[in-house]
Amino acid sequence: MHDSQDIETATTAVATEGRPDDKTRRYDRQLRLWAATGQAALENARLLVISGSATSTSILKNLVLPGVGHFTILDHTEVTPEDAGNNFFLEGPSSIGKSRAEEAVRLLCELNEGVVGKADTGNVAEILDKNPSYFESFSLVIAHNLHPVLLDKLSTLLWSDPTYPILAVVNSAGFLAEFSLQFHEHAIIESHSDTTPSLRIDKAFPALLEYAKSLDFSSMDSMEHSHIPYVVILVRALEDWKKQHDGKSPQTYDQKKEFKAKILDMKLKIDEENFDEAEAQAYRCWTETNVPSDIAPLFDDPQLDSLSPTSPLFFHLLYALKKFAAQPPHVLPLTSTLPDMKASTASYIHLQRLYKDQTTEEKRTFTSFLQVPVDDDLVDSFVKNAHGLKVLRGKKWGLLDASPEQLAEKLSMSPRETSTHLAMSALRASTIKHPDIRPTAEILTSEAKALLPPGTELPEEFSNAIGELVRAPTADLPNTAALLGGLVAQEVIKMITKQYIPIDGCCVIDLIETWTGMI
Amino acid sequence: MSTAAGRTTHAKAILGPELYSRLSETKVLLVGAGGIGCELLKNIVLTGFGHITLLDLDTIDLSNLNRQFLFRKKDVKQSKALVAAQTAAPFNPNVKITPIYANIKEPQFDIEWFSSFDIVLNALDNLDARRHVNKMCMAAQVPLVESGTAGYLGQVQPLVKDLTECFDCIPKPTPKTFPVCTIRSTPSQPIHCIVWSKSYLMGQLFGEDEDATGELDEAEKQGENAQEIATLRKEAQAFSAVRKALRDPTSKESAARMAFQKVFDSDICNLLSMADMWRHRAPPTPLDFGKIMDESFVMRRAVPAAEPSANGHPPHGAAPVLVNGQPGQHDSQQSSSSSTSGAKVALKDQKKLTLKENLELFVSSTNRLATRLQNGEETISFDKDDDDTLDFVTASSNLRSAAYGIEEKTRWEVKEMAGNIIPAIATTNAVISGLIVLQALHLLRKSYGRLRNVHLQFKPSVPLSAITLSSPNPNCGICRDTYTKVLCDPTKTTLGDVVKGILGQSDREVGVYEDKRILADPDWDDNYERTLESLNVTRGKFLTIVDEEGDVATITIGLGVLPGNHPADGPAFILPDPLPQPPKKVKSVPVTSTPPRASLKRSAPDDDIIELEPSSKRQKSAANQDISSPSKKRRLEEDGLVLMDTANDKLEEEDEVIVVD
Repeated sequence: MHDSQDIETATTAVATEGRPDDKTRRYDRQLRLWAATGQAALENARLLVISGSATSTSILKNLVLPGVGHFTILDHTEVTPEDAGNNFFLEGPSSIGKSRAEEAVRLLCELNEGVVGKADTGNVAEILDKNPSYFESFSLVIAHNLHPVLLDKLSTLLWSDPTYPILAVVNSAGFLAEFSLQFHEHAIIESHSDTTPSLRIDKAFPALLEYAKSLDFSSMDSMEHSHIPYVVILVRALEDWKKQHDGKSPQTYDQKKEFKAKILDMKLKIDEENFDEAEAQAYRCWTETNVPSDIAPLFDDPQLDSLSPTSPLFFHLLYALKKFAAQPPHVLPLTSTLPDMKASTASYIHLQRLYKDQTTEEKRTFTSFLQVPVDDDLVDSFVKNAHGLKVLRGKKWGLLDASPEQLAEKLSMSPRETSTHLAMSALRASTIKHPDIRPTAEILTSEAKALLPPGTELPEEFSNAIGELVRAPTADLPNTAALLGGLVAQEVIKMITKQYIPIDGCCVIDLIETWTGMI
Repeated sequence: MSTAAGRTTHAKAILGPELYSRLSETKVLLVGAGGIGCELLKNIVLTGFGHITLLDLDTIDLSNLNRQFLFRKKDVKQSKALVAAQTAAPFNPNVKITPIYANIKEPQFDIEWFSSFDIVLNALDNLDARRHVNKMCMAAQVPLVESGTAGYLGQVQPLVKDLTECFDCIPKPTPKTFPVCTIRSTPSQPIHCIVWSKSYLMGQLFGEDEDATGELDEAEKQGENAQEIATLRKEAQAFSAVRKALRDPTSKESAARMAFQKVFDSDICNLLSMADMWRHRAPPTPLDFGKIMDESFVMRRAVPAAEPSANGHPPHGAAPVLVNGQPGQHDSQQSSSSSTSGAKVALKDQKKLTLKENLELFVSSTNRLATRLQNGEETISFDKDDDDTLDFVTASSNLRSAAYGIEEKTRWEVKEMAGNIIPAIATTNAVISGLIVLQALHLLRKSYGRLRNVHLQFKPSVPLSAITLSSPNPNCGICRDTYTKVLCDPTKTTLGDVVKGILGQSDREVGVYEDKRILADPDWDDNYERTLESLNVTRGKFLTIVDEEGDVATITIGLGVLPGNHPADGPAFILPDPLPQPPKKVKSVPVTSTPPRASLKRSAPDDDIIELEPSSKRQKSAANQDISSPSKKRRLEEDGLVLMDTANDKLEEEDEVIVVD
């Protein structure tokens, strides 16, 4: 096997073969998930990770391996024996007494030569006080078990300007953990949505309709007849039906049944699968194609009313989409992906050509609504993914705990998740008020009650959660760290690549009972 | 060590002193040192497991490094198990890691061996090995935590015999296979050409010297077109000249051209001579080496009536119109699992090659592979991470596609399709291995109520879904058997010794199997006199005793070797004491218990059936092969009888299973 050959032999063997370089080979398995665009975004990202704890390094490991561009660990502490025992990215006992940031960065960098890592032994408290602009050079900041006072300052600072980095807040104690992302706005084009765009059988575009009407089914030989694509059969059958029904598609259950029966009646031979396919897909004739209910609300986005040449391109594209959908037939632009179907190669190619031409045409219309020049690849991507667009609006970290009523409501709706969150919040509060006392059940309970409207009953789930916190308030178990590292890094990658839909809210994790939940 | 107390503080606080102290005595088998395995090894070393046996048959590849973090670039080509053990061991001075560079299916890893572990953790990537370990754990009664990942998705499942479902209680989807004639003479989709190239052509040119007629004999028996088979047989025999040229250093460049000539010209001309075959489908076009090279080649193309299948690979049916060897228009990249839309940064191997470029790649990769043969490699088979073979499969499958008017694929796509590549990232593996350890701790603590079947899902609203475990499927062909073991010297022990010994006083009528082979039944006991070795029933294999009436559960006997201190003049075999007492019940048709091999022999019943063939017969034989577990139903069907399905109805009566080992 020739896996370890250098770039030269890997790329020059034959000029035409388009063989990938070592980098593509290293990242092969993930490129199949987020493609070259996602990889490029990852490589342009700059991360700041506050603390070199086991959880922090576990998160970083999962970002260094796929090739994040840069990371800095900010940690002024030294490696303790506990650290050496639970943190895989320290060199065991020999790291004890050395800078935690420097040791962790050195070992993490070994994982991937393409990643630049930097250790900063500065004190986050001082930086927040004296040099707040320090944070601006990063694209995303991750804070694990940061002291609640500092966390409050940091989140307030990063929230103060929408262009400041995204903040990932991660807190864990023993088998319990929670994390959330603080961002103002996150627009996703490539959401990798499962829904497939409409084929527009119910609103056939002129060329498709013309083609379906022009075919003379009765004069076809049996070979041809059994290979008419179901899309064409349906467009034709629907057109014929409408002629007899005041231009309406089948409405009632009986009409739909009748329509399906008519399709099967069109068969010349019993085994014509294309007509079976058409019957199975007949619902497309009465499922009206319009702007999907997930997309329509995006058109009300306030950003669209105040577009300027410097507004994000996403909103310029969204504006054009809104204009496009405002025109009849009030649909999203066509995308030319035809599914697999029973057809002859010739008829399939012809149909594909019709869809492709219409797609090009509609893209031209769409582009004409754009008020700023947009790169053609981006337009293509936007149009292709238009049915899966997503805009998330985030909240400032800690907003939930600021509203006792809201917290009480969540507690009654999802007691398990909210109880665990409340216990973590109580632990933070007690760290501030009683910095030198190991938290007890009594302290945590009273801190939790202080967050809720007076007189609110705490459910049983709450006692379970504080039980774990009282037992292990500061423990960073390697296995919890590993799992949390995976979950957090996953969401960070989604944010950086702007692909797939990240969590929206606070993710609570209980590894005693093995569950996760969102509040 | 002065820091010893400090470094274990966390783990002790959380696990409790009792479980924590037990961990250092716990013997764990970790199968697989890949994506999940690396993460898992780190976790169990840090958690405090004391004795870890780590087994993996693979070596490290560059494409592993984006997630298998115990490996570095300098480790490429080394054993995964050895390197992982070396990297992880220093993190706990009290851990003993035993790495094994081997296949878990080897005979020395028998029931005895599995029994020596307290728990088994699976970190495997293929169904076959996962099922094997499941069966061994069921037989040895060792708790197993099973796992798998694919892209952002993952799963963890704890398994305990008689308490939970086993891995085979729910039938797993079988890999898609194709009829041999679709692959060898009438491909209609890119995947057909890719399978042909990697499984057939690679073997013919660079593999073992076999005439490949066994497969054709089988196909003929299954009723495929006799004339077509005869032609294919002739085609296979003519490979010997090309094989010889490829292994002869003096033939230089001419061998590649010779191979091209045979495969893309004469073989296609031979097929074309069978006019019947092309009455209802587009005939292929023989390719011309010289004309492709000087770009004057023109495809002759009738309007083909393609036969799209219901579950073909997308995009499909879109044959590019080739003019002068240049593909006409083609769509932008459509990788099946990744979006390349808006990808300004297109990858090098996502470029579609022209016909001429494919031919050049064919020549260069054939030459490279030939040089390797001449330098002493005996056989070369397809490996997705072996660039020479991937280039060869890309080029030859695309040339074949061109001849048949099928859409060509990029090297990137061919790699995914031929290599069954599943996207893989560090994050998913980290989450899954964390969950494996949690389930393992529950198992060791015997807190069975806390066991969960956990899925890592795509939904941002609920990243993890945890469900309580189900009871064993009463119809399961794996975990509902009664397992036992016999230690023996197979050269001196007969089949009869074992079967009669195990049945003891009972005189019920039974059939005896080894895997899918039938060794005896009530009317045929010739093999009882033969030694186990002569029947190729040796260490690590299982004998299955199936009750002829279906009244008693199946007994499955794992064969082991005699203990080291066994006297030379002692008995040739040691029976279990007491003998197994399989529960009385209706034993019905077990679910598929062995993964059907990816063989070209078998036809998927839903695949396109060529009109000329007696299709019903072929479908039936395919169905037979799917039921590969030794079962009464299978045998009866082979005898031409049809068994009613009502046997299933009685299965609810399943009693508690008592297993005596």
